[in-house]
Parts: sequence; structure tokens; C-alpha cells
Amino acid sequence: MDGSLALEIPQIFPEIALSVFGIAILLLDTFLPKSKRHAATGIALAAIALTAVFTLGLVGEDGTFFSGMIVVDGFSIFLRITFLVVGALTVLASSSYATRENLAVGEFQALVLFAIVGMNLMAASNELIMIFLGLETLSIASYILLGIKRSDAKSNEAALKYFLLGSFSSAFMLYGIALAYGATRTTNLEAIGREIAAGSAGMTLIYVAVGLLFVGFGFKVAVVPFHVWTPDVYEGAPTPISAFMSVGPKAAGFAVLVRVLMVAFPAAYAKWLGLVWLSAVLTMFVGNCVALVQSNIKRMLAYSSIAHAGYILVAVATRNQEGVAALLFYTLTYALMNIGAFTIVSLVSRQGDRKTYLDDYAGLGFKQPGLAAALSIFLLSLAGIPLTAGFAGKFFIFRAALESKFVWLAIIGVLNSAISVYYYLRVIVVMYMKEAPDDWSPVAMSSSAIAVIALSVLGILQFGIFPDMLISLARSSVIGYR
Amino acid sequence: MIPLGFYLVVSAILFSIGAYGFLIKRNIITLFMCIELMLNAVNLSFVAFARYYALLDGQVFVFFVMAVAAAEAAVGLGIIVALFRNRQTLNVDETNLMKW
Amino acid sequence: MPHSILTLITFLPAGGAALLLFWPRTGASAIRNIAMGVSLLTLLLSLPLFPAFDTSNPGMQFEQSAAWIPSLGIRYHVGIDGISLFLVLLTTVLTPVAILSSWKSIQTKVREYHLFMLLLETGMIGVFVALDFFLFYVFWEVMLVPMYFLIGVWGGQRRIYAAVKFFLYTMVGSVLMLLAIIALYLLNGATTFDFPAILESLHQGNLILSPGQQHWLFLAFFFAFAIKVPLFPLHTWLPDAHVEAPTAGSVVLAGVLLKMGTYGIVRFCLPLFPEATREFTPFISLLAVVGIIYGALVAMVQTDIKKLVAYSSVSHLGFVVLGIFALNEQGLHGAMYQMLNHGISTGALFLLVGMLYDRRHTRLIDEFGGLADPLPVFSAIFMIVALSSIGLPMLNGFVGEFLILLGAFDADRTYAVIAASGVILSAVYMLWVYQRVVFGQVTNPRNRRLLDLDFREKLVLLPLVVLIFWMGIYSESFLRKMDGSVSQVLQHFRSSAVVMKH
Repeated sequence: MDGSLALEIPQIFPEIALSVFGIAILLLDTFLPKSKRHAATGIALAAIALTAVFTLGLVGEDGTFFSGMIVVDGFSIFLRITFLVVGALTVLASSSYATRENLAVGEFQALVLFAIVGMNLMAASNELIMIFLGLETLSIASYILLGIKRSDAKSNEAALKYFLLGSFSSAFMLYGIALAYGATRTTNLEAIGREIAAGSAGMTLIYVAVGLLFVGFGFKVAVVPFHVWTPDVYEGAPTPISAFMSVGPKAAGFAVLVRVLMVAFPAAYAKWLGLVWLSAVLTMFVGNCVALVQSNIKRMLAYSSIAHAGYILVAVATRNQEGVAALLFYTLTYALMNIGAFTIVSLVSRQGDRKTYLDDYAGLGFKQPGLAAALSIFLLSLAGIPLTAGFAGKFFIFRAALESKFVWLAIIGVLNSAISVYYYLRVIVVMYMKEAPDDWSPVAMSSSAIAVIALSVLGILQFGIFPDMLISLARSSVIGYR
Repeated sequence: MIPLGFYLVVSAILFSIGAYGFLIKRNIITLFMCIELMLNAVNLSFVAFARYYALLDGQVFVFFVMAVAAAEAAVGLGIIVALFRNRQTLNVDETNLMKW
Repeated sequence: MPHSILTLITFLPAGGAALLLFWPRTGASAIRNIAMGVSLLTLLLSLPLFPAFDTSNPGMQFEQSAAWIPSLGIRYHVGIDGISLFLVLLTTVLTPVAILSSWKSIQTKVREYHLFMLLLETGMIGVFVALDFFLFYVFWEVMLVPMYFLIGVWGGQRRIYAAVKFFLYTMVGSVLMLLAIIALYLLNGATTFDFPAILESLHQGNLILSPGQQHWLFLAFFFAFAIKVPLFPLHTWLPDAHVEAPTAGSVVLAGVLLKMGTYGIVRFCLPLFPEATREFTPFISLLAVVGIIYGALVAMVQTDIKKLVAYSSVSHLGFVVLGIFALNEQGLHGAMYQMLNHGISTGALFLLVGMLYDRRHTRLIDEFGGLADPLPVFSAIFMIVALSSIGLPMLNGFVGEFLILLGAFDADRTYAVIAASGVILSAVYMLWVYQRVVFGQVTNPRNRRLLDLDFREKLVLLPLVVLIFWMGIYSESFLRKMDGSVSQVLQHFRSSAVVMKH
């Protein structure tokens, strides 16, 4: 047993590497002189690169490890790579942000690494308690990241709200785990699935457990009616963290939701399908309709991220392999466009995150054409205009929905994406069709922010115009794909 | 021996009290305590199930939950302190800089 | 002719746009020359398509096909037949005309303007040549973006409202079409988005659509196209977009964009869903006729010339739809021909209105009067274009309207009679506005010193006037090229209708 355990350690090298580097950054930060502390960014990037190498080394693995606690399959590897992309972009975007806002770069980057560890563990968990631990690792890191601007009341408030509702929802999830454990005597996903299939589990308890788990995950991924915290938290958070929060935890939450529902509770899931359907519809409608009237762009993007959670929930509702592949494709590409958009928002908002209103974008289109063009591409991609990754992702999702005969869900989905065009266009309208104010001050660029924007644009166009490779990859990463 | 159902009912009641309190109370510290109550209700379920099935892992989970709750408390109280320094209040109704 | 000719024609403007993207924004005249050069080169490349087009072959020609997204069965597949040939040519003719027409009137953000113009050209040609559903949809949607910017940045007072309305209307229609496309693909075994392939399996009986499926798929496609046409009562975006768009934008909008709707109906709705087409024909014909009369009546009471032309488009496009849904040779021929006519004569009308606007900065009819005196050349050309729009024999409009009415008469006499009265109404509003603008005394002193058309403006209008006469007199040379493909559409239509009956 001991010997085999040691042999299994390479399966979690990615998480070990990230943790070690995270701790190293924290230690270095204490000992380095203040002028050299920005080295943390480089170290964090190196850690992510190293982790990517470890993760890619796992490609082809397929099995469970550590007594069935950790699963390494295409699904978890795809997601780990997604999280590393999210992490790398967040690290890059926050380095100049932290400098501008006078924040401790080292703590910032270390916490991002810890958050990635949490997400990775969630993706690789085969066990409800492991999922809970991964989720808490992620959540605690993000509580601190949200409130890292200690003297900023909005940042405090965002952290508090996320903390209170996050732990509230964790309690629900945990209760669901306890009930599932009570019904099946195990917390291993595959074992739960076997117990239920064998008919030896109390189904009432299982239904309640699945409902509670859905509530818990619903909070994390911000689907209606568990979305109320989202706009406040995204608005108050340091902008790169808003970006991170809108893509990382969301992708992780959805991934785990899919794994739990498909591996452990397929039968109970069918029972809840009506509610998932309803939740998807409400999420899309509420997200899109409330986004229409926002004047603060961070809040608008927050509601837009709720709406996108609705589209992803459509993919979850399909319960077929295409849907899961679409979810993988969508979460990765959505990460690119949302981080890109938030990075530009963060640049435009200037020091102190003051200029986050729509009017602050007036005239940007001809004052700083490159920046405005990039933001337009991100917004058009979010709106799902062809030749962007956003369109390919939606296409993939609605294809899966129609394939499983969710015609109405698909119709509601596409109509919603037509509604969403309106508020994304509003930003473009302001940028290109309104004149810049007289006291226009240019937006300061930084090389790391430019790198984030350029990478995101490239990714969006690459996966938008030639999505073939990513689609094939996503398809071969679906759970149960052999 | 007290039947399993009794434990579960107590656990459910505790959980509900916690959730209800979370929704109606206004003091942040009280909210925090309500969450703790919910977590401990869950712990009770875990222990009860573990004992009933004569399994050990349920009891181990409780330790995990307690460790996580402690970590959350550390971070959460830090956030609360930072907030109090800036705003001089612990009432959630007054933490309303952002509204739609 | 190289087999990638269509690809070249389609993407050459986009290449020009890419060049402009990196061109310094200061060289306004160089930018205009580049845009003009690129669009002329596109025109030159596209002209040989006309003689090289094989009249005896009703199928697709100049085809090119390559794998694009194999995992979803999506190919890059382009080709043209007698239906799309002329629409491609119309696009390549109108784009340089539009660019030349805005030589003077666009003075701000010149680089971006021409960049969007060229991108728009790529989008428009792409819609007409795409034979893969996915590719078609991509062009159909992507084309919205440059048009949106053209209206929104360089348009008139209420440009933002008009631009957003235009975008949203089209978007709502097209997302449902997207679902219909996906549904068609799934029903066909989820292997291909290739339009000819899907049509083939429909004819082979490998793909059988139940009446219910046909019904809904037809509606989803038709809704998208009807918004674009625009068919009454979905037309409300059109007057706003036309009035607010800059002249070149209106020309392209009226000339080409509206044709995408009718093109889509002929290309996709008729052959794919014959039963549903029959089912909805009475209803759609009714809407078309209502549109003809309504458009004409509303045009009559307009005080703004541009709005008048915009509403006349609603009326003219009603004719086109009526012709298509006559579902016979004459009607369809007439509809195809009328699409081209409308592109040319309405394009020319918008250009003329734009020239007036450049001089007086108003488009109100009351402001003018007696322009024949200071602007003789303008008035002469205006007369020719107005008569072409009315449908005077020897000019292009006549052939189209006549064929449509012939076809419509065959299909349903009542509608044909009402539509014919629409022709009279169009004569009323067109001649009335002509009379108020051109004839009589110069009532407004500011009109007295206006300068007549300069060389550039004559050059802009010349190709259109030539086409008006050419298409009016030698209509046979055009109709012959369409003949095979039009017959094939109807033949497909009839044969599949028979298959469905079994």
C-alpha cells in the first residue's frame, strides 16, 4: 500500500508544484526588499508553466488513484489546463494592477496559485469530501483575494458578501454530502453510482442530497436563484479578481457539477431535470435582462456572466457527451473573452478603479483604437457573433441541446443571446459613436496587460475561426470517453 | 440506543435554525455563528451515520469539516475586522455601497 | 479561370481592409485610393464570371470545396449558379460606386470607414457564394458588424438608434435560422452542413422531413429572410436604417443587403421545404401584396425624399416576394430580375438624394423645387432613374415587374390585380416627388446657385444609368443566364413536392 501510494504521487505533481511555489512566493516576499518583490509574478508564471508540463505529462492517463480519491482522466486534464490558462492570464493581468493599486504582489500571486490548486483538486476529485476540500481551498483563497484592497470599502464589502454566501452555500453542499453518505455509506462518486444502480440506497435521501448539492453548486456558479451575490462581488472586487472569479470558480463548479451528476447520480438527476431546465431559463433571462439596464460595466459583465452560466447550464441539462464537450469548450473560451474584457476594464478604470461606468468609454474607439478594437472583439465574442470563439461555443451548446431534443431550451437560449447583443453593443456604441470628453486622459498600458489582451484575442480568433482542434480535444476529454 | 432518525431530525432542525437565522439576522457576527451552526448540524449527521453503519470515515470527515471551518473563521474574521475598520459597523444592511 | 476565383473575389476586399488596418490614418486620399483600387480590382476579377458562366449548366459553377471544421462536418464550400451570379456582380458593381460616392462626403475617420466598406463587401459576396450552411450563416452574421458601424458612426442624427435596431432585428431572425440549420444537420444524420449534400439526400429520400418539421424549419428560415427583405410587417427597421445611414451605406443596404433575404428564400426555403412553401404561399403572398400597397401609400405621404425611397423599397421588395411565391417560371424570373433592378435603380436614387443632401444638407421635398434649371444633368438622370423605378418599358424595371405580374396572374388573379395597382401607385409617388423637386419655378432662393453634378458624381451614376438601359433593352442576355438555375429550383420544388405526396 505504502509503496503504491508513493508511485501515485506523480498524479498530483501539478497541485504539489503549485502549492510549493505558492509557499515559496510567500516566504520570498517576506525576505526580499520591497523593490524586488515584483519577482513574484515571474515565479508564479514559472510555476504555472512547470505545472502545465506536469499536467501534459499526464495525458493518456485514465484511472483513479489514492484509494479512489483522485481521478485522472481526459476530463480532469482538460480542466486542469483550462485552470492553468485562467491562472496564467490572471497572474499577468494582476501584476500591473497590483503595482498600480499598491498591493502586495507576492501575496496576490501566491493566493492565485492556491486558488488554482483548489480548482485542480475539484476537477480531479472522485470523492465528495475531496470536492469539498478543493472547493474550500479555492473559496478561502478567493475570499482573501476579493478583500485584498484592505482600505477599500467596496473591496471589503465584496469579500464579506462572498464570504457569507460562500460559506452558507458550502454548508448546503456539505449537508448534501452527508445525506448522500447516509444513503449510500460512501462518498466515492463511482461507488455511489453503483449503490444507487443496485437499488440499495434510500432514494428519498438521494433526491434531497442532490437538491442540496445543486443549491451549493448553484451558489458557486451563480445560477438563478442563487446569483444575488454576483454583481456586488464582481463590482467591488479588484478587477483582475472579478475576471478570475467570473471564469475560474465557475468553470470548476460546473465541471464538478457535471461529474457528480453524471457519475454518481444519473438517476436522481433525471428527477431534477425539470428544475435544472427552469434554472437555466431563468438564469439566462435574469442575467440578460438585468444586464440591459446596467450603467456600470463591471456590473454589466457580472450579469452577463450570470447569463453565460445559463448557457453552460443548458449544456449540463443535455446530459449527453456532446453537452459535456460543449461545456469544456465553452468554459475555456469564455475564460479567454471574459478575462480579456475585464483586463481592459481594469486598464480603463485607472487608479483606484474609479472609471467603471459606461460613459467613461466615450470616444475610446478613436482615441485608442487598438484597445477599443480588442474590447469590441471580446464583446462580440461574448455576444456570440460568428468567427469568434463565443459563437463556436454557443453553436456547440445549442447543437448538443437540439441533439437531446431540448428544442425549447435551445430556442430560449438563442433568443437570449440575441437580447444580449443589445448590451454588448451599448459599450461599442459608446466607444465608437460618442465623442471623448474634453478632459480625456489616455489609458496607461502595461506590457503584461497587453500580453493578456493579445493572447486572449488570438485565442478567441483561433478558436473562433478554426475551432476544430479544440472541439476534437474537448470531445475526447468527455467523462466516460474511451 | 437512540435510533438514527432522531439524530437526523435534530441535525435537520439545527441546520434549519442556522439557515433561518442566516436569512433574518442582521449582525455579521451572528450570521457567522449561524453558518457555524449549520456546519455542526452537518457534523452531527456525519457522526450519526458513521456510528449507525459502524464506519469510521464519517467521523474523519467531521475533522475535515472542523479544520475547514477553522480556516474559514480565520479568514472571515479578518474580513470582518477590515470592514469594521473602514465602516464602523457590523450591520449587513449598512454594507450597501453597491446596489443595482 | 482558376478554380479559386470565387474565394479570391470574396476575400480580396477583406485583404484590402487588412491593409488599411495597418495604413497610417493620416493619408486620407491614399486610403480612398486603396479602397477604390481594391474594389475595382474585385469588380474586374468578377466580370469574367459573366461570359465564363456556362448557361447550359443549371448547377453550381466555379465551385471550390475544402474541409474547414471536419469534426462538425463543416466545409468551406463556395460556388455560384444563375441565381447568385448576378447578385455577386451587383455587389461588385455597387461597392466601387458607393465608395466613389462618398469621396467627398466622408471626411472623418476615413480609414475606418473604408475598412468597414471593404469588410462589408466580403460579407455580402460571401453570403451569395457560400454553399455550406455554416459558412453562409457566418457571412450572414458577420456582415452585420461593418454595416452596424457604417450606420452608427457615419450616419445622421438618430444613427445609434437606427444602427442598434438594424442589428437586433436581423439578429433575432437569424438566431432562429441558426437553430433550424442545426436541426437540419442533425436530422440529416449529423454529418454535413453542405447545402447541396443535404438537398441531395432530400431528393434521394435519405432525409425525410415530416410535415411538422418542414413547417417549423421553413418558418425559422423564412422569418430570418423576411426580416431582411423586409416583408411587411417586419419592415420597421428599414426606414430608420436607410434614413440614418450615410449615402453609400443606403446604396449598399438597398442594393445588396435586402436581396439577401429574397436570395435566401429562393436558395433555401423553396427547394428544401416544398410542402411548407405551398402551405404558406397564400399567407406570404398576402403579406407581399399588403407590403406593396402599404409601402407605396406610405411613400406617397413622406416629406423626406430619402424616407420616400426607403418606403418605395418596401413596396418593390413586396413585388419580388410576390414573384417568388407565384412559384412559376415567369414569377421567379421576374423576381430575380427585379432584385437586380431594384438594386440598381434604388441605389441610384439614394445616390441622387445623397448628392442633393451634399449640396443643401436637407432632404425635405418642400425645400426644393425647380431644380431643372440650376441642375439640368441631375434632373435628367433623376428622370431616367425614376422612370426605371416606376417600370417604364425599355428600362430595366419594366421587365421585372411585367414578368412578376405575369407569374402572379397565373398563380392568383386577385393578388396580381392588386399588385398591378401598386405599380400605378409607384408611378404616382415617384412622378409626384419628381415634379415637386425638379419642375416649376425655383421657389427657394438657396437652390438657385447650386452647382450641377461634377465629373466624379457623373462617374458614380454612369454605370448605373448604362445598366438601366442595358437591362431594359437586352434583358434576354441576362435572363438566359438565369434560366437554367431558375428552372432547376422549380423542378426541384415540383419533384420534391411529388415525393412528399407519396
